[in-house]
Formats: sequence, C-alpha cells, structure tokens
Amino acid sequence: MADSVHVDRAVARRILGGDETAFRELFDRYFPRLYRFALVRLERDPEAARDVVQQTFCNAIARLDDYRGEAALYTWFCQICRNAVADHYRRRQRAAAQVVLIEDQPDARAILEALVAPASDEPETGVWRQQVHRLVEATLDALPGRYGDVLEWKYIDGQSVAEIAERLHVGPKAAESLLTRARDSFRQAISELGYASAEMMDSPDRRPG
Amino acid sequence: MPHQPKNYQDKSDPVASLIRAAGRRTAPPEDAYRQVLAAATAAFREKKSRRFERNGLMAAAAVIFAAIAVALVLQWRPASLQPRVATVVRLVGSVELGTEQGWQALIDANEMLPAGARLRTLPGGSAALALEDGASLRLAAATEVTLSGSRDLMLRSGTLYLDHRTRSGAGYRIETPAGTARDVGTQFELQVRDGALRLRVREGRVEIDRAGQVVAGAAGEQLDFDALGGVARSAIAANDRAWQWAETIAPTPDMDGKSAAALIAWVARETGHQLRYESPDVEQRATTVILHGNIRHLTPLAALDAMLATTDLVYVLRGDTMEIRARDSRLP
Repeated sequence: MADSVHVDRAVARRILGGDETAFRELFDRYFPRLYRFALVRLERDPEAARDVVQQTFCNAIARLDDYRGEAALYTWFCQICRNAVADHYRRRQRAAAQVVLIEDQPDARAILEALVAPASDEPETGVWRQQVHRLVEATLDALPGRYGDVLEWKYIDGQSVAEIAERLHVGPKAAESLLTRARDSFRQAISELGYASAEMMDSPDRRPG
Repeated sequence: MPHQPKNYQDKSDPVASLIRAAGRRTAPPEDAYRQVLAAATAAFREKKSRRFERNGLMAAAAVIFAAIAVALVLQWRPASLQPRVATVVRLVGSVELGTEQGWQALIDANEMLPAGARLRTLPGGSAALALEDGASLRLAAATEVTLSGSRDLMLRSGTLYLDHRTRSGAGYRIETPAGTARDVGTQFELQVRDGALRLRVREGRVEIDRAGQVVAGAAGEQLDFDALGGVARSAIAANDRAWQWAETIAPTPDMDGKSAAALIAWVARETGHQLRYESPDVEQRATTVILHGNIRHLTPLAALDAMLATTDLVYVLRGDTMEIRARDSRLP
C-alpha cells in the first residue's frame, strides 16, 4: 500500500502540474469504480450516480492540493464521493437511503459459503448472489492499480497470460507476476473483511496459467 | 447472473470461483462517461489555469507575450491590430486554435480571440465563447468557425448556436459554404454538413441568403436547405431535446449572492421554457431570496435543482412552461 500511495502522490503532482494525460488516465481508471461506488449508495439511480460522480471529480480536482498521501488516492476520492452522496440527499431534503451493504452484514460469511454450495431451490439465492456480486465488485474496485481489471480479464473473459501481457504492453513474466499479486491482494482483501472462511481462501495457491 | 467463463481449468481455485460466480462488474453507461468526462476536464483545465496564475507564470507569460507582441507589431502590423472579438468562456474536450504553425490545442478558458481567429472543435469537444456585445456563441463537436469580424462569422463545417439578445436590429452575419445567415435578436442553431444547411430557430427570426434568394425562418421552425436549393420546413419546439447540446455547454453565470429570480430567468431561457410565477407573491419571493453557492459545471436544470432545494420555491415543467410555485403548493 505504501508503494501505491507513493505512486498516487506522483500522479496527483502530475495532475496539479497540468499534465492532461495523467488526468485522463486517472479519470478512465476511477470513473467506473466511483460510478459503481455511488450507484449502490443511491438506490441504484443511474442519473443520481452520474451527477454525484461528476460532483466528486469536480470537488476532488478543486481540492487536489490538499491530498497529502495519507491514504490511497482512490480512497480519498471515495470519501469525497461519500460526501457528495450526503449532499445529494440533503439537497433533496431526504434522509440518506438506508442502504444495507453486504459489508455490514454479520452473515456475509454464510453468503459466501452458500455461493460455494448454493441451495438452488431457495428463493433467497438470487438475492444472495446479488449481494455476492456487489461484495466481489466492491473488492475488485478497491484493489490498487489494474489488479481488478486483470482478475476480470483472466477469470471472466478467460484471457491467457499472454493476452493480458499484450493488453498491458508488458512481457509475459511481468503479466504473470501482476496476476499473482492481484490474486494475493484479492484474497487478502476478502480475508481481511472477515467474510471468507479460512478454508475458502487458504487453499493451495495456484499460479495462473 | 453468473457469467459463463471461457475456460474452467482451475475450477477449484477459490479466487477464480468467487470472481466467476459474482460475474462481470457493472459497466457505467456511455453517456454518463461522456458527460462526467466533459465536466471533469473543464474543472481540470480551470484548475490548471488558476494554478498558473497563482504561481506567477502568467505574469512571466505576459512579459513574453508583450515582447512577442512588439515583434509582431513591428513585423506584421496589420495582423496585430486586429480587434478582439470574442473571449473563450468554456471548453470541453479538445478544441484547437488555428495558428501560422497549424492547429494548436486551446488550453485556457479566458483566451481572448482577435478578428480572423480560426477555431475548431474535435469529435467529443465543444466550446462556448462570449462575443464582444455579450452574445453567446457555442460550438458543437466537429465544428470549424472563423471569427471574421465583430459581427461576422464563417461556419465552415459543423454546428453552432448563437444566443443574441439584442433588440437593436444589428444582428450577426454568418457565412457558410451553403448560404449566409443574418439574425435579428435571436437564439438559433446553424449546421453545415455535406453541402447541406440546416437552420433551427428557437427565438426571434433568422434570414438565409442563398445567392440572392432570401428565405426567413421564425421561432419554432427548422429549415433544411438541400444542395439543389430546395427548402423543407418543419417545427421544432423551444424546449425540444435537440437543443440540449447547447444547454450542456452553456456558460454558467456566477449566482452567488444573486436572487433566485435571476437564476430562474436564466434557466428558463437556456432551456427554452416560458416562465410563469404561480402568483405575484411567489414572484416577489423569488426576487428576495438570495442564493449562495457555486453552480459551475452544472447543467441549467441541475443548477436550479441544487439552488432551489435550499429555498421554499419549487419549479414545475409543463409542456413549454416553467412554473415557479411556493413549495407547499406543489401538486402531487
């Protein structure tokens, strides 16, 4: 994390220095993640999510001089996004929606275990799958750098290490190393949340093929 | 819905199983991406501009500029004497200025443009300019114009929107490869594409002169001129969605410390609505409510949403009318 914060400080400095390429790279990396972050906190209202994320970027850019690197830049953006969500509800003179996120549920571990061996006849299964989708989505979005992307390319799109390497313009060894670090980070993030059973996440490491 | 992966070679891998079972992450809509990118880019460029000013680089640049200007006066006196005819007030995406060295990216809003300046927006870009008499000129994506003089423009290709509120009768002359437009205090859009000319009049009246043959368009009309001289007329409402691109790039006025009535009037005009107050009391109320805050980067209706949320006034849109009411009288 310290390394990524160091990188984040450099990115912030480049943007403050007027580097539009750095700004655009950051925007393309953060926009989909912040959009999903806002969407689940705004009762899945796409227009509200768009407006809140727009406000988030404008506020973050205006206050970028204040970023000191105490946390990852994405975490800092998320905090600004939370404030924008609160402002959104305040403007509409409504209490913030009672969004119950899976992170807050004590039985999240059971949800994950159910996913491994789902009881397909139970009516709640669809709801649970949605919850798991959100948990995994939030975890992938919270991973540093391109980790979330490479995991999705590998396990959703079924891309090979060679294909990922080509997509990232790096060598196969670098791509394999990146994929291993991404898997480790994902496993650690899930485990740190305390949701996954030790057995689920401690199975023998399989290097990506 | 779990996504079907292309391969299952490591089914027992818990990381792979979990990610596959969860499926692909939700992708944001493309139009949301474009809108937020446009606003964020504008905010970034403003920030950049302000930082340069604060660091004193602008002062240094001014010295260099003055030196260059002196050289230009000495070498190219006629060009250097061109009067300023417009100021760039808002940029979104890529916008370029024609120079002797070719097209160069326009970085700063506040750029002052002399007569003869050439400007173009690239796909995805747009720009808003304040003309010298206060008229607002807006350029849609993929548009090229020349600011020929204080009231003369050349639209070479693409789409422009002009909001010109004068009642003096002194209008703008806009030359295009397919005819020349003259306005008389109006809001209108002009588009040149593949040799065809399209005029949409939102307010007032515009005349198109094509080789001496003059055709007039009135508010609410769309005129499509084909390459052979034919004209097709159709209707277009002042609040039609077709005007939205011009609303999106509208330069937002500073409303901090201004009355709610001023904001309401601006939003009604920008969105093509007739303004109506529920009662004289409500109208009076709107003039006494003073707004505080920043509406930069917000579209007109989003600005109105944000500002009125803190007041006891609400707006209701019905057809082409925007009605302002007291909050407790709003219909369900």
